[in-house]
Amino acid sequence: MTGVLICGAARTSFARSERTGREHAVAAINAALADAGMEWSRVGAAFGGSDAAGLADTLVADLGLTGLPFVNVKNGCATGGSALVSAVNAIRSGMADVVVAVGFDKHPRGAFDPRPEDWGLDDAYGRDGLMVTTQFFGMKIQRYLHDHGITPRTLALVAEKAYRNGSLTPEAWRRKEVSADEVLASGLVNDPLTRFMFCSPGEGAAAVVLCSSSVTTRDPVTLRSAVVRTRRAGSFEVFSPLVDAGPLTSVSRDAAAAAFEQASLGPSDVDVVQLQDTESGAEVMHLAECGFCDDGEQEKLIAAGATEIGGTLPVNTDGGCIANGEPIGASGLRQVYEIVQQLRGRAGARQVPGHPQIGFTHVYGAPGVSACTVLSR
Amino acid sequence: MTEGTLWTWTVQRFAPKSPPYVLPEDGFRPFAVGYVELDGEGVRVAAVLDVPDLDDVRIGMRLSVKASGGVPRARPVSS
Repeated sequence: MTGVLICGAARTSFARSERTGREHAVAAINAALADAGMEWSRVGAAFGGSDAAGLADTLVADLGLTGLPFVNVKNGCATGGSALVSAVNAIRSGMADVVVAVGFDKHPRGAFDPRPEDWGLDDAYGRDGLMVTTQFFGMKIQRYLHDHGITPRTLALVAEKAYRNGSLTPEAWRRKEVSADEVLASGLVNDPLTRFMFCSPGEGAAAVVLCSSSVTTRDPVTLRSAVVRTRRAGSFEVFSPLVDAGPLTSVSRDAAAAAFEQASLGPSDVDVVQLQDTESGAEVMHLAECGFCDDGEQEKLIAAGATEIGGTLPVNTDGGCIANGEPIGASGLRQVYEIVQQLRGRAGARQVPGHPQIGFTHVYGAPGVSACTVLSR
Repeated sequence: MTEGTLWTWTVQRFAPKSPPYVLPEDGFRPFAVGYVELDGEGVRVAAVLDVPDLDDVRIGMRLSVKASGGVPRARPVSS
């Protein structure tokens, strides 16, 4: 995928605010354009969306009525990734040489509120108390701990790191450090996961300006690959009445492998990583699913500080979803923004030392979708 | 009635949102849910676990699963 550059990137503060989701989106796009040194009138196409904060194409009322094609994307946690893939294809096909991708959201406080009928499930799943997303996360990591000898302490260390990195990230929502002991003592939500191990639904937006290599840019990052995949048979997903016996397949594994193959790079080439951390267990499992370690190796890696900003494999340097919250439509492009800043050496107090050259992003969500990117300086 | 082994589990420690959750008449009490790998069926089924003590839930424990009107329910096999 040579020839597609990210020439501008921005995000908004994900702290709770009076802003609407659309206001977040407009602010992120304008800031990304300013970062690229471009005007909205230069943009030839746009792709974007939110899960719960409205349609992206309505943003032209605020950005400018230039007549450009603006395609709405609604793809759950992969909204940003799907917008990015569409933007890449628009550039490669010659549809436009400057393209914007945006993701935004604003969710009410508290847990998401899924309805059985929207998932093709009997009402009894709601009545009996099984329409709770956090149960799935608890059950997936419960089995993983059993199979691979990971301890709850490791889950707590992941959350401790998230809050520490959040404290270094001006735009994060949770900016107060929390110790592993406090994480463990914060109360079980769904065993073995405690309250402080989870992210919360939140608000915010992120946007990137992509361009072909023929466009004059300043400080660009190369988008080596962008991939979206849906699950294959044999995976374990939220709200599944049945799961096939035998080894699990993983859509994250599939998407990451495809992203590395397209980029002609491998996990060992990567200097800085963003992984979906809906909760601590997800970060632990996604490290292996995306190819960064073997199953079970996380226990030692995390205890040794490998995933810290100064470690050998820095993960979620901005605090991830745990510290930034989860505005579903925005998270994927927040990750891309963070990697772009890291590769440019502009990440401030959370900058990975040693001039990182290659970065990776990964989102995962219901109902079994994953989007991954590989970026390089 | 089918038997199997517990593949994974968790405990629902807080009351889910009502609706759709219907609170028991005597109020909310934490309850266990899990997936039971049924003997010889090649499938793991989501079930509410009717166990006397939540501290005794273990991966690999033997359970009998009963289809009910809605979500299947599983209880320990007495050995």
